[in-house]
Amino acid sequence: MAGFVDRMLSLDRRWIFLFVLVSVATPIILPIGLPVTTSGSTRAAFEYIENLKPGDYVWLSFDYGPSSAPENDPMAEAFMRQCFLKRLRVIVTALYPLGGLGLANTSVARIAAEFPDLKYGEDYVNLGYKDGAAAVMRRLGQDISGAFPTDQSGTPLSRIPMMQGIHDIRQVKLVFTAATGLIGEYWITQVHSQVGTPVIIGPTAVSAPKYYAFLNSGQLEGMLSGMKGAAEYEKLLRAAYPQLATFYRTTKGFTATKGMDGQTVIHTVILVFILLGNYAYIRSRTAKKRGADG
Amino acid sequence: MSLDPLGVWIAAFLTLACLSFLYKDNPFFRFAESLFAGISLGYYIGIVLNQTLMPNLIEPMRTDFALNWDLVVPGLLGFMLYMRFVPKVGWVSRYALAIYVTYYIGLDFTRRIHGEVLPLMGRTMLPLTRLDAHTLVSATFIVGVFSVLVYFFFSKEQGPVTRRVSRVGIWFLMISFGAAFGFTVMGRVALLIGRLNFLILSWIYPTLGIS
Repeated sequence: MAGFVDRMLSLDRRWIFLFVLVSVATPIILPIGLPVTTSGSTRAAFEYIENLKPGDYVWLSFDYGPSSAPENDPMAEAFMRQCFLKRLRVIVTALYPLGGLGLANTSVARIAAEFPDLKYGEDYVNLGYKDGAAAVMRRLGQDISGAFPTDQSGTPLSRIPMMQGIHDIRQVKLVFTAATGLIGEYWITQVHSQVGTPVIIGPTAVSAPKYYAFLNSGQLEGMLSGMKGAAEYEKLLRAAYPQLATFYRTTKGFTATKGMDGQTVIHTVILVFILLGNYAYIRSRTAKKRGADG
Repeated sequence: MSLDPLGVWIAAFLTLACLSFLYKDNPFFRFAESLFAGISLGYYIGIVLNQTLMPNLIEPMRTDFALNWDLVVPGLLGFMLYMRFVPKVGWVSRYALAIYVTYYIGLDFTRRIHGEVLPLMGRTMLPLTRLDAHTLVSATFIVGVFSVLVYFFFSKEQGPVTRRVSRVGIWFLMISFGAAFGFTVMGRVALLIGRLNFLILSWIYPTLGIS
């Protein structure tokens, strides 16, 4: 046993990296299909969107970059699918500078292709990127065209039919921000607190603990916490919309539900490593103490 | 949406170059790191120019200067920031920077007080008049907030009572750090899943002809 403890304490960390790599890659090659349970914050978000009426304006902000796309992409795309099925009018923006707009353009094109009967400018619009996050949100409370005079391709808002019926963000029934970093917080503290527009956030898992405080204080209508939250949301969508159940079962694209297999496997592996590491540490400390006493 | 094969190979090479750092530092990793830094800066300049400066500043002044003449002021302030690169008139940039900083202090002050401090303080002031499950949660909440505040009170040396209370605060902090660590692991693993998903399903499988 002493040999095992010594080996554990002097193990080259690269062996652990390799073990993690194999543990994450295996469920991608051989999917397991482990079940996902839903949490209250995700159900609250889903129900809030379900209760909106066709024609209501919703705001989707891509406030993340490629570095967190595996977590945020699935939630933003699932949100768009639910909105399009419910015939909500979606206004898309991107306030994250490094790649937010590129991801927004790609996701909007991908989801719009799934709903060929929807028209750009009537059912959804992509206003693009704007620098300054908090200052942009403050301006949205006064007038949208002040912050976004054109859509992302340069068409003035006055020539976009669905933007004729909306002046400022008070008329928007919901803001959904898929966010990394501080921009998600700005939507809560700038737009919700000062203008009153309801907000749902889909943060990265790293940011999620901070947002539970806002959720508990009633400043958020719901929250999707990282990849797990996105997988929960996909599950609720599959249950509510049979056409999406078929889509999520057959798609070859990346979904949060697929990613959760790897999450479960690697979390089990990490737990085992934590237990083994602590066992080895306690054993070595006890042995040292005995040596000192003896 | 199908991916461009050349783009997939470049992305796969750069992904492997970044992951190679886990084995040890090497020229491939340094190349990928430098490339990322350079491209990020170039992308940022391009996107701000095309998506912010053109539609919000240059185009409105070009199409109707009489209506948008006031945009000269923010445009000039932005230009003044770059004066710091001319040593003789570098002091000019400080005025623009002062206005910029002042604006964001004002914006952030109201945002923090109105959107963060007051609502979160309000959530902490909970009724303890009824005795049910909610009361227990509320009591735990209040004990947590109070003991953590005592732990972070550094203006007076801790006595026998405050030391015990701050000890309770440490427990609350440790539990919150544990939760944050768990979420961080989940977040980082999600990124690895995303990259491996790309490498296996978008690069290796098509290269080997596996559908």
